[in-house]
Amino acid sequence: MVHAQKKPPALLAAGLCAAILLAPLAFAGAAAAGPGERSFAEDLQGRAVDPLAASPGRVVVLLFVRTDCPISNRYAPAVQKLSEKYRGRANFWLVYPDSRESAPEIASHLEQFHYAIPALRDLRHELVRRARATITPEAAVFDGARKLVYHGRIDNWYEDLGRARSLATTHELDDAVTAALEGRAMVPEHADAVGCYISDVK
Amino acid sequence: MRLLYEHPGLPLSFAGSVLAFALLAAGFGQDQKPPASADSSRVTFTRDIAPVVFHSCAPCHHPGEAGPFSLLTYGEAKSHARQIADVTRKRQMPPWLPSPDGLPLEDDAHLTDRQIALFEKWVDDGVPEGNRDELPPLPKFPNGWQLGQPDLVLKAATAFTIPASGTDVYWNFIFRSPVTSVRYIKAIEIHPGDKRLVHHANLLVDRSEAARRQEESPGSGFAGMELQIESESFDPDGHFLFWKPGSAPIVEPPGLALRLDPGNDLVLNTHLQPSGKPETVAPTIGIYFTAAPATRFPVLLQLENDRALDIPAGDSSFLVSDEFQLPVDVELLAIYPHAHYLCRDMLATALLPDGSEKTLIHIARWDVNWQAVFRLAEPVPLPRGTKVSMRYRYDNSSDNIANPSHPPERVRAGNRAVDEMAHLWLQVLAAPASGEARDPRMVLQEALARHHLENNPADFEAHYNLAAMLEARGVPEEAARQYREALELRPGDATVENALGAALLSLGQLREAAQHLYAATTARPDYFDAHYNLGIALASGGAYARAAEEFAEAARLKPDDAGAEANLGAALAELGDTNQAIRHFERALELDPANRLAKENLDAVRKASRPN
Repeated sequence: MVHAQKKPPALLAAGLCAAILLAPLAFAGAAAAGPGERSFAEDLQGRAVDPLAASPGRVVVLLFVRTDCPISNRYAPAVQKLSEKYRGRANFWLVYPDSRESAPEIASHLEQFHYAIPALRDLRHELVRRARATITPEAAVFDGARKLVYHGRIDNWYEDLGRARSLATTHELDDAVTAALEGRAMVPEHADAVGCYISDVK
Repeated sequence: MRLLYEHPGLPLSFAGSVLAFALLAAGFGQDQKPPASADSSRVTFTRDIAPVVFHSCAPCHHPGEAGPFSLLTYGEAKSHARQIADVTRKRQMPPWLPSPDGLPLEDDAHLTDRQIALFEKWVDDGVPEGNRDELPPLPKFPNGWQLGQPDLVLKAATAFTIPASGTDVYWNFIFRSPVTSVRYIKAIEIHPGDKRLVHHANLLVDRSEAARRQEESPGSGFAGMELQIESESFDPDGHFLFWKPGSAPIVEPPGLALRLDPGNDLVLNTHLQPSGKPETVAPTIGIYFTAAPATRFPVLLQLENDRALDIPAGDSSFLVSDEFQLPVDVELLAIYPHAHYLCRDMLATALLPDGSEKTLIHIARWDVNWQAVFRLAEPVPLPRGTKVSMRYRYDNSSDNIANPSHPPERVRAGNRAVDEMAHLWLQVLAAPASGEARDPRMVLQEALARHHLENNPADFEAHYNLAAMLEARGVPEEAARQYREALELRPGDATVENALGAALLSLGQLREAAQHLYAATTARPDYFDAHYNLGIALASGGAYARAAEEFAEAARLKPDDAGAEANLGAALAELGDTNQAIRHFERALELDPANRLAKENLDAVRKASRPN
């Protein structure tokens, strides 16, 4: 998969207007918003939240998940564990890109899968675009300067849909968070995730 | 020909589907390509997609079934559209392992190339819904028991908790059957619990309480990928009782039925997969009886070559094969190929006496997760002299992502997930051989046991099975010799010690019989058969006091066994304890009013004790 590295022009309008302007850009293929961009999603109380604006300087991890994606669900214990490993050093957010999944459904999903990570509903796919996410589950790691330093699979547990290793042998998300905390570049910056297509949902 | 392909659900032969693809590919091509804007050229959900999804996806993808999401509406299909196109193109869904070059199979889940092309085009066309009038009726999926209320419902005594994460789990549940007389089972419906968690399940009849010995406490169940149940007698009932997602329960054809004796256990071997949250599974089985006893008895023929399984670490193409020549005519009913995670390719063929060759089944991309029993669309006759072969290829390199060991390790045969297996089970009905008075099943099983011993002279089960068959056909000397071979492979094994003792008993070698039977009771103190047989050996040698002790122990272990009571009475009578003897004869007759031994001995004792 080839990703355009070109940065979009800086947008002047903030907030919801930015979303409207961002949409055509995403289709043009220049998906990533630059540092300083604002990308809003909703928390479960319906408040607009920009996870990348909160706690400046802190590494931020977005995890794109879906309540009805079995691979995404099977990763829940691993994701929760990683968030605990980096507690106090990196901010983890769960991002639900399927607008059909209501806040109460998501709340119940968090409880069932023992997630203790704040959840956001990415109704307009602003975070999806900002993180260049295409799959659930997929991770995006932003450094303290809000540069997207890694996006893609959590690890290599799944090779393809229906084809899993008994255990993962590479751990890209873990490595990427460590690299970001140490100010190193993550290599590779992207590894294809396996799961459900975000483009299937709005 | 072309009309055939208007029905996506129709099971098509391979040649047929290739032709269909050729025709339709042309249809999508330049010949009939209407303007892109014309609605008729667009693939729509209601007209094109729904018929395929309802037939081939919805049986698992509806609430309560194994599919992780439902595919019953336009919205549901749309929200997984690209995923559906992807998994169908890769032939990962619907899960169906056999290639189309084998025998025609029941419930063939293959999608045609045309159907797969439809999903791709639907996504390319922007997943249009289409005209709602064209939507076919939603399939009906009845809740609860598919075959109606069962005659007997058994529930797992203890639910099993699957951890939230980790590797696949294999767990065995034992169902204790409450039947008090011999019953014949027409069908068993397996409800494995939450179907999203259970990948497959295999039900076995345990006629000797062998599985119970693996439980920590009664009803707890036990772990294990492979279920090995040692049958203590030659067991002619060869039935597959298999559950996989989306499979309908099988009702045995006329004449076929599974015998269930009092005291038999049903053991369900389940393959479970962690879902991301802790889950509990408590399977239920529904049993449907028939009044008609079985008149036709299938046999499960096993080709295997586990001894040849010794795969070096890193070997990406390790071949294991076996070949068996049929000693009788058979009809092939079903095929169950089995291996673990390293197997890549499975091929089973039959070379007929006329020189023609049939591919029975070919699985080019084995995946243990989707293993199944494959029933033939029609029974296939394989005449006597047919050579049935299996060729399995294994990949123990790190390129095989299913490899449970990282880095790869040397792998041999075994029951654990990290071990391998090379098994091909064939369910056959054997026809009587001309000029052969013996039951063809026995001929078949004996030939098979001898074949297994050729492959592996250290095959414990083959020695044991051969011995049991030799004993059944009245050659106890040879049977005893085979039991001895088995015993050398597993010294002190209670089952073999008992069987050898019983064979020696029938040969009149009382002293040696008693030694082996005693060894069986020492190895397994709660072994009813061994105590009973030891009692017989001792009584036959005139050691009535010791015999009475053994019969008493047998009667204590199985308080409702009339034989043990009758024999205890006889030993006591020999010892002169007439009152006690009468008490036990009467107890035996209470349990079984037709018990001849108790009746005759009771008469004799009463006559003798009556004052003249």
